[in-house]
Amino acid sequence: MTGRGTASRFLAAVLHNGVGRYVRQLQRLQVVFSPAAPDARGARQFVEEEAVDFARRHPDVVVYVRPCDCPAPLLQAEYLNGTVREELIASKTSEEIAQLATRLASQSGLDIVRIRKPFHTANPSVQGQWHPLTNKPSALTVRGPRSAPQ
Amino acid sequence: MAGGLLPLLPLLRGWRRLLGTAGTGRAAAGSAPRREKKRWLRAYLEQQRLQAAPRRRSEQPGWDYHAEIRAFGLRLREDFSLDLLKTAFVNSCYVKSEEAKRRDLGVDEDAVALNLRDNAELSARGLAFSRSYLTRSFEAAYPLLPGPAVAALVSFLSGPELVSHVARNLALPDLALCAHFPAPPPVLHATFFAVVGALLGSSGPERAGLFVRDFLIPQLIGKDLFEIWEVVNPMGLLVEELAKRNISAPEPRITRQLGVSTVLPLYFVGLYCDKKIIAEGPGETLLAAEEEAARVALRKLYGYTENRRPWDYSKPKEGWTAEEAVSSS
Repeated sequence: MTGRGTASRFLAAVLHNGVGRYVRQLQRLQVVFSPAAPDARGARQFVEEEAVDFARRHPDVVVYVRPCDCPAPLLQAEYLNGTVREELIASKTSEEIAQLATRLASQSGLDIVRIRKPFHTANPSVQGQWHPLTNKPSALTVRGPRSAPQ
Repeated sequence: MAGGLLPLLPLLRGWRRLLGTAGTGRAAAGSAPRREKKRWLRAYLEQQRLQAAPRRRSEQPGWDYHAEIRAFGLRLREDFSLDLLKTAFVNSCYVKSEEAKRRDLGVDEDAVALNLRDNAELSARGLAFSRSYLTRSFEAAYPLLPGPAVAALVSFLSGPELVSHVARNLALPDLALCAHFPAPPPVLHATFFAVVGALLGSSGPERAGLFVRDFLIPQLIGKDLFEIWEVVNPMGLLVEELAKRNISAPEPRITRQLGVSTVLPLYFVGLYCDKKIIAEGPGETLLAAEEEAARVALRKLYGYTENRRPWDYSKPKEGWTAEEAVSSS
């Protein structure tokens, strides 16, 4: 598929985050897993070994552990702007899940799509938009004879 | 009786199938149960999930109000007193609706009252503080800006539209206790300023000022002065301003023009004072170009041009030195 066909957006931050102060955008992380399913083994190990460390490292994220009779283990991340992302953690090891949780904690909750430009400016052009008279002399300029080259 | 029969049903079906394969087959094909995977089920459940009415976050699984409130304070890196912060999220409409619910359930009049303080007082304090802080900092940052412009900037930044947008992106609607769902903008507005009021009560005016600065002032990025401040007659205002400064009245002149006889003409009008150009602006008609030139001149006079120095978000000097002294000792 060509670049024009895929979804894309411009580089942005929620509420100009980081201009004033940085606010972590992940507000809630739920570990949903079955207490008996074999593919949730890594999730159970994550809950036993790593979840407390993760919560300690990220005091601004509320971590919920939800054992339930669910079809597949999930990491459900909720962001400040209302985005909810569900990541499947079936048959993943505890380290992989910890890595995934850290990555979710560092994301902003905006759509993960192609970003058109790796930079952003509020004022697209400092000298103004180009028009046919850019860098042309004004009609009122009195043009005298050019000084002869010496 | 029926319960006793139910476990037998699969067995009967199995017999019928056996009979069908053994017998003629044609008669049994219509009555054979469909055993394939219900491929519609997953799509149906997904459709049901999408069509379900949105629920409050507090009614969904995984919700601990105390932990959420603590994480809220830590996320914003502020030291809130938890009681004040919890009060800041209680809106008066919530208290009223809860009391009405209790009354409907037939609770006697003494027990109906919730004994919850609502956030009206905190919100009023926070709003007054934010407005005065914003006014002070705009006056300090742009000393040339006139009073009405500062008032317009302050009312834009503390207006319900912008503040509810900020509140929505700080996940205040999840935490705010409100009778309506989703929480309407006036409630979010009140809740945001109640949070500012709570911060004022728990950490003092300096931290509250930094909070207002960090969350409201960045919203001015990419906004023009005249988007926020409605000026009907910029040329009249410019003449007044120049008269105050003892400069002669501006004289508009066409400096450049292009395609005058076409449907898309372009004029550039320059404003001259004492034969010196003070501003130049483009427009499709002469009047529009003159107005634009007047706006450019006003922006220059007020020191609020597009290429102005960005807002200083660094820590204030006194606070910085005090913190350094504390950390080094």
